[in-house]
Amino acid sequence: MTLLTFLAHQWHSFRRARNANKSLVLQIVLGIFYFLIFLEIAGLGIFLPLIIKESLPGKDPVVLFCSYIIYYFLVGLLFRFQLQELPSLSIQPYLTQNIKRSSMLRFLNMRSLIHVINILPLFVFIPFSVVEILPLYGTVATLGFLISMFALVVNNHFLNMYIKRKSISSSWWFFSIVIAIAILKAFDYFKILSFETTSSNLFVGLLHNPWLCIIPLAMAVITFRLNNNYLRSHLYIEELVSQRKMKVSTNYAFLDKYGDVGEMIALDLKLIFRNKRPKSLVILSGVILLYGFIFYPRYLQTGNFTMLFLFALFITGLFISNYGQFLFAWQSSHFDGMMSYNINIKQYIKAKFLLFVTVCSLQFLIASFYGFMGWHILPIQLAAFLYSIGVNSFVTIYAATYNYKYLNLSKSASMNFQGIGALQWLQSLLISFGPVGVFYLLNKFVGFWPAILVISSLGIVGLAFNENIINWLVVQFNTRKHRILEGFRER
Amino acid sequence: MISIKNLKKTYKGIDAVDIDALEIYAGEIIGLAGNNGAGKTTFFRLLLDLIRANSGEILSKGHLITATEEWKSYTAAYIDEGFLIDYLTPEEYFYFVGKLNQLSKADVDDFLQSYQVFLDDAILKKGKYIRDFSKGNQFKIGIIAALLTKPELLILDEPFANLDPTTQLRLVAMIKQLAANHRMCIVVSSHDINHVSEVSSRILLMEKGKIIKDIAGGEAAYDEMVDYFKVKEL
Repeated sequence: MTLLTFLAHQWHSFRRARNANKSLVLQIVLGIFYFLIFLEIAGLGIFLPLIIKESLPGKDPVVLFCSYIIYYFLVGLLFRFQLQELPSLSIQPYLTQNIKRSSMLRFLNMRSLIHVINILPLFVFIPFSVVEILPLYGTVATLGFLISMFALVVNNHFLNMYIKRKSISSSWWFFSIVIAIAILKAFDYFKILSFETTSSNLFVGLLHNPWLCIIPLAMAVITFRLNNNYLRSHLYIEELVSQRKMKVSTNYAFLDKYGDVGEMIALDLKLIFRNKRPKSLVILSGVILLYGFIFYPRYLQTGNFTMLFLFALFITGLFISNYGQFLFAWQSSHFDGMMSYNINIKQYIKAKFLLFVTVCSLQFLIASFYGFMGWHILPIQLAAFLYSIGVNSFVTIYAATYNYKYLNLSKSASMNFQGIGALQWLQSLLISFGPVGVFYLLNKFVGFWPAILVISSLGIVGLAFNENIINWLVVQFNTRKHRILEGFRER
Repeated sequence: MISIKNLKKTYKGIDAVDIDALEIYAGEIIGLAGNNGAGKTTFFRLLLDLIRANSGEILSKGHLITATEEWKSYTAAYIDEGFLIDYLTPEEYFYFVGKLNQLSKADVDDFLQSYQVFLDDAILKKGKYIRDFSKGNQFKIGIIAALLTKPELLILDEPFANLDPTTQLRLVAMIKQLAANHRMCIVVSSHDINHVSEVSSRILLMEKGKIIKDIAGGEAAYDEMVDYFKVKEL
């Protein structure tokens, strides 16, 4: 078996995936999106020296660049934890064939290197080195620099793989690395050990002594070897997956008194906690709560209430739109069962609505702390919150009744576009920009408080009529129930 | 209990199910037999309102199943793993189904206790989610969950196919006992003509969506079925 055959198989599995998004429009949009990002990064690499010269005159661009390299790799490592998945050559069918383990391993490792996160840095480093370093330090130094950079990228890559693999058996590995990085960052913050000076000393020193590139190369080789050895000794099926922990039956006592509705909310909660994709999606929504620190200050200063409202909408309503997009699809693998149990459809939909309200309220309460930044934030967030639970929740449930695509819950949510089609994009746009548009117009032409009042009252009206709206949603659901069932059966 | 009139389901011009009239009565054990693609599973899905029929109607206790959801309170089924909530532990799943039918945890525990032999120490207290069990055990979980609700109508699709020999025999005994003691109506489909003829009081033979034979169970039925299936030999 050669590397090429493995590659061919991977390609086939990608192209022939059951639920691969064959929508041409989506592919084109994604393609353009990625291409633009590429362009930006490459442009950054080429124009970086100019940027540095213009914004910070007097500082040596090379020294400055070098001082940020350690940052780059540390942050890169953290990014890889999130974005980079362990390569999943479904190894089981190959284990029993007449294939040498070493060739399978070689393929796994090489294949894993081909990832955008390894190719992007080249787009930055190569142009920069050619433009800046070459004229100043000569070819040998430039080569040494580039080799070290590349070796560090490879090193980061395999380090990430190794940590992830070790973490499968015990999460301590992952956490200790994160803690280590946090401690280093603390050192940097309190000026005990400065990243920037260390980094610039190291790498400028590298430029003066190009033979030092051996060190990064050695690091790369070591992490590669570590990885390889680990894999070789763990090619047993049961060790590739972590099945050790005994699973416990959990009971949400506080939901017990809510009867059937409580049962279904508990079911949704368990679905979120015990399945990869919904869990990472919800964690993402949680992290978004912190975005207020990034975006609020800027707009508070300029008094741009519309933008504040947009972000308040995100912060309070992201769970609804993220989780709600696939509201029924989360249960697509057993939807047949759900529909044949003794479940009242109205209770079912009510449970979803209450789940939205509960999580949203929690987000709203936590986000209220942003009020310390500026009192304007509180009414804005209140309006966004009321609108989210009073209008957006129902709109999302309605849109979900048109979603007929099956969803695989065991894959992670980042970069996972399964199940997303034009409908989802349209829905996201409508949900966020509709109310923002209204707010903007009202704020501009009538005033801040009228805008707040109108948006809030829209939400309150929705809440007041929730019985009627839910009844209508039940009818909608029943109209398309069979189409939903059929769609979910096609995996 | 179940009344079917002019039921038709067509896929791409071919009739998957085409039944003019069929009556199913309480207390019957119906064995549905037929070759692959005869329409058995489609028929079950229609009975559970999981597929929309092209024409015709199904009445459960006199009411259209498409009009109300009342039939769900006395109907239980297990067709395939798509009926199990795979990220729950078996205990959680049983409690969930029980709760939906107004059964308390104690009721469910009592029930599981009485079916201990069937569960055979393979299901409870294993610390696994349903998705980590073997196929046969998943089937067991599905069947027990269906029985838990003490339904008046029970629908099982190919239950004998996925169970080990011991459990198959136990299931045969269970089905006979349930129909006798509780006036349950049980509809079972199978490829195993032995089991079908042994367990059923009435056998329906399906071919290409139509019911071509409707006979009483027993020895004679077995012979008739063997005749029918032998004819299909190459």
